[in-house]
Amino acid sequence: MISLLKVEKITVKYGVIPAIQELEFEVERGQIVALLGANGAGKTTTLKTIMGVLRPVRGRIFYDGKDITFLPAPQRVRLGIALVPEGRGIFNRLTVRENLLLGAYHRRDQEGILQDLEEVYRLFPRLKERENQVAGTLSGGEQQMLAIGRGLMSRPRLMLLDEPSLGLAPLVVRELYALIRRIRENGVTILLVEQSAPMAIGVADYVYVLETGVVKIAGTPQEVESLEEVKKVYLGG
Amino acid sequence: MFSLSYFLQQSMNGIILGCIYALLALGMTVVYGILRLINFAHGALITLGAFFMYFVFFRLGLPFVAALFLVLGFGGAMGLVLDLVAYRKLRGGPEVALLITSLGFYTFIENFTKLIVSPQPYAFKTPEFLATLYRTPYLTFRTVDVFIIFSSLLIMLAFHLFVKRTKLGIAMRATAENLEVANLMGIEVNRVISVAFVLGSAIAAFTGFLWGAKYGQISYDMGFLTGVKAFVAVVVGGVGSIPGAMLGGFVLGLAEILSIAFLPTRFAEYRDGIVFAILILVLLIRPSGIMGIREEVRV
Amino acid sequence: MKRRIPQELWFVVGGLVLFGALFVAEKTLNRYLLHILILMGIYSIATVSLNLTNGYTGLFSLGHAAFMAIGAYTSTLLTFPVPLREAYDLPRLPWFLGGPDAAWSFFPALLVGGALASCAALLIGAPVLRLRGHYLSVASLGFMVIVVTFAKTLKGITRGPMGISAIPLYTNVYWTFLWLFITMYVVWRIVNSRFGRALMALREDETAAQVLGIYPMKYKLFAFVVGAFFAGVAGGLYAHLTKAIRPFEFSFTLTFQIVVMLIVGGMGTMSGPVVGAVLLLALRYALKPLEEHLKLYGLIELVYALLLIVIMLWKPEGLVGRKRVSARGRQERKEEGEWARFSILR
Repeated sequence: MISLLKVEKITVKYGVIPAIQELEFEVERGQIVALLGANGAGKTTTLKTIMGVLRPVRGRIFYDGKDITFLPAPQRVRLGIALVPEGRGIFNRLTVRENLLLGAYHRRDQEGILQDLEEVYRLFPRLKERENQVAGTLSGGEQQMLAIGRGLMSRPRLMLLDEPSLGLAPLVVRELYALIRRIRENGVTILLVEQSAPMAIGVADYVYVLETGVVKIAGTPQEVESLEEVKKVYLGG
Repeated sequence: MFSLSYFLQQSMNGIILGCIYALLALGMTVVYGILRLINFAHGALITLGAFFMYFVFFRLGLPFVAALFLVLGFGGAMGLVLDLVAYRKLRGGPEVALLITSLGFYTFIENFTKLIVSPQPYAFKTPEFLATLYRTPYLTFRTVDVFIIFSSLLIMLAFHLFVKRTKLGIAMRATAENLEVANLMGIEVNRVISVAFVLGSAIAAFTGFLWGAKYGQISYDMGFLTGVKAFVAVVVGGVGSIPGAMLGGFVLGLAEILSIAFLPTRFAEYRDGIVFAILILVLLIRPSGIMGIREEVRV
Repeated sequence: MKRRIPQELWFVVGGLVLFGALFVAEKTLNRYLLHILILMGIYSIATVSLNLTNGYTGLFSLGHAAFMAIGAYTSTLLTFPVPLREAYDLPRLPWFLGGPDAAWSFFPALLVGGALASCAALLIGAPVLRLRGHYLSVASLGFMVIVVTFAKTLKGITRGPMGISAIPLYTNVYWTFLWLFITMYVVWRIVNSRFGRALMALREDETAAQVLGIYPMKYKLFAFVVGAFFAGVAGGLYAHLTKAIRPFEFSFTLTFQIVVMLIVGGMGTMSGPVVGAVLLLALRYALKPLEEHLKLYGLIELVYALLLIVIMLWKPEGLVGRKRVSARGRQERKEEGEWARFSILR
C-alpha cells in the first residue's frame, strides 16, 4: 500500500538561502513519525511546505498517491491534512468554541461538525468548561489542547504537529503524548516535529533527524537511540 | 447660549456625525485589521455613494428603497474592483506601497468625479418624507436625523451579528488576527478579504447618502477629510477592535461637534485641526486607543 | 580618496553647464516658459528634500506641504515691503527682527523660512517619528491639516483664507537653481556618508539598525529636519514667484503632487525626484490648455493619480530607480510580520 505522505527531494528557499535541500522521507498510514532536529534544521519549514504555505523550488510532495506540490493550502485541508502550528497558533481573541468551529471551516456537514465538536469536548473536558472563554486567557497546556482539538475538527487523516511540547510543563507534556497516542488509535496518521527528543522518540514508530535541511539520521526509535551522536546531542549523553 | 437645549441639540449633532464616523470606521477597521492597509480610497466611496444616490433617486426617480439597495450594491462592487485590481497585486509587499496606491485611487476617484460630474457642489435635497421638522422644547430635529441614527444602529447590529455568529464573520475575525494561521487552516483568505472590502465599501457608499441627506450638499472632495477622520476614529477606538471602531466614531463625532459648540465662535474653523490634534494626542498617550488590545502595541 | 574627486567634479561641471544653460534660457525664453522652468526648479527642491525623508530614510511623511507653507509665510512676512504692510493688514516686524521699518532681503528671508520649518519639524518629529509606517503618514498628514488650519485662522499674521498677495517678485532662475544645486549637494553628501548609510539601514530594518548601534531617533529627526528646511526654502521661493499665497494652496493636493513626482521619478535615487518633477510639471502645462478650454477640471490631477497607480502596480521603483533586492524574502517578512501585527510604535 502506498504511503500516506511521500516527500520527494524537496528544496525550499528563503530568498536565496535554502532552508531544506533535497529532503526526502515517507510517512506510512497509521504511523507516528517524528521529525527531530535543532533550531533552524528546517523542521517547521518542512511542515509548512507539506501544508502548502511554502512552495518548494524543487521536488514533489505526494499525498495518498496524489501530487499536491502546488495545491493551495485550503485544498490540502479538504484532502485531510491538518497542521497544528508552532506556538499553538490559536486565535487569542476568539472564544474556544469559535476556534474549534474554525477548524471545520471547509466542512459543510453541520451535523458532523457538531458531533465532532462533542468528540473533542469528550477528549478535552477542560475545553468544554471554557467553551465561551476567550482563547487568550487559557493556560499554555489548554491552548495546546485547543490547537490540537481544532486540528481534529477538520477530520484529518494526516496531522502535522509542530513542537507541541514547547513551553509546557513536563506533566502536561506527558498528558499531551498520551493524547497523541489516542489520536493515532483513532486512525489519524501523525507527523510530529519536536526539539525535545526523548518524548518524541518514545512515541514514534519511525524517526528522522534533520540537520541544516537534510536528513542526517533515519531509523526506528531503537536504532536511532543507540547511535552515539544522537545520545550526545539530543538525549544528553 | 449655553443652555440645556443647546447642549442637547449639539449632542444630537455630535451623535449623528458620530454615526457616520462609526459606520466608516467599521468598514475601515475590517480591512485594516486584515491587510494593515489604511484605505484612503474608502473616503472616495463616500463621494461615489452620494453622487450615485443623487442620480438614481433624484434624476432617475427610482423609489427610495430600491435606490438605497442600488447604492449598497454599487459601493460593494467598487470595493471589490479596488481589491481585485489593485490591492491584491500589492499584498505581501511593503505596507507603504498599499498606502500610496490607495492615495492614488482616492485622488483618481475624486478627480474623476470632479471631471465627469462637476467641480461645483450639488445641492442634495433631503427626500420629502425625511424632511419633516419636529420641535420639542429642548430639541429640534428632522426625520432624517432619526433615520440616520436608526439605520446606523441597524447596520452596526447586523455587522456585529455577522462577525460573531456567521462562519464567514468568524473567519474574518480570525484572518484579521493572524492571516497566516487562518490560511493554514484552510480559510480562503482572499475571499475573506474581498468580503471585507465589499461590506466596508457598501457601508461607505451608504454613508455618502446619509451625509448628503443631512448636510444638504455633496461635492467631489467631500470624502477626503471624512475618510481620514474615520481612520482617526479607528485609532481612538482602538485598532483591531470592531466595537472599538464604532465607539471611536461616536467619541470623535461628539468631540468634534461639542468642542466647537462650546468654544467661542471664532474657533469653529479649528474643527479639522482639533480632530487631528486628538489623533496625535491619542497616538502619543494611549496608542492602543480606548478598546485596543494593549499587549499588541508593544513590540 | 581618489574615487571621490570625479563625483564632486560632476557637481562643479554640472553646475557650470547648468548656469550657462540658465543664462541662455533667461535671455531667450518667454515669460510663460521661464515661469514653468522656475516651477520645475522649485518642485525639484521640494521633491529632492522629500526624498531624503521618504526615499532614503523610509519615513513616509505626508505633511511636506506644511513645511512649504511655513517657509512661504515666514519669508513673505519678512520681505514684505514696509509701505504696503499697513494697507495689507500685515504686522510690522518686531524689534528683534529689524524693527518696524525693516524688510528683509531675499536670501536671509529664505534661510529663516527654512529654519522655522526645521524647528516645526523638530517639534513635530519627536513624537511623530516614533510611530510605525502608516501611522506616521496619517500623523504627518494631520500635522499638515493643523498647520493649514492655523494659516487660515491666525488672521492677524497670515490674513487668513484670503492669503497674502503683492509679494515682491524676487525669485528668478538663478536663485531657484542655486538652491536646487545646494539642496542636491547637501542631500548627496548626506546620503553618501556613513550617516547616509545609517539612514538607509534604518529604512531597511530598524531593529537590525539598532543592534548596530544606531539610535533611530537621532537619525530620523536629522533627515526629517533637513528635509523640512529645504521644503521651507522651496515654499519661500514659491511665494516670491507667484506673488500670492493662500492657505488652501498648501493642502494635501500639493503634498500629493510632490509625492507622485517622487514616486514616478524614483524614490531613493538622486536624479529620480528631479526627473519626476520635470516630467510631471511638463505634463501639467501640456494638459493645462485642454483643461481650461474644454473645461475638463480635474483632468491633470486625474492623470497624476493614474500615473501613480500605474507606477505603483508595475514599476514601483520609479522611472529612474532599480529594483531593490530585499535580502529578506516575502515569506520571511510575512512570517515575522505576525509579531508586529498591531504594534503602532516601532
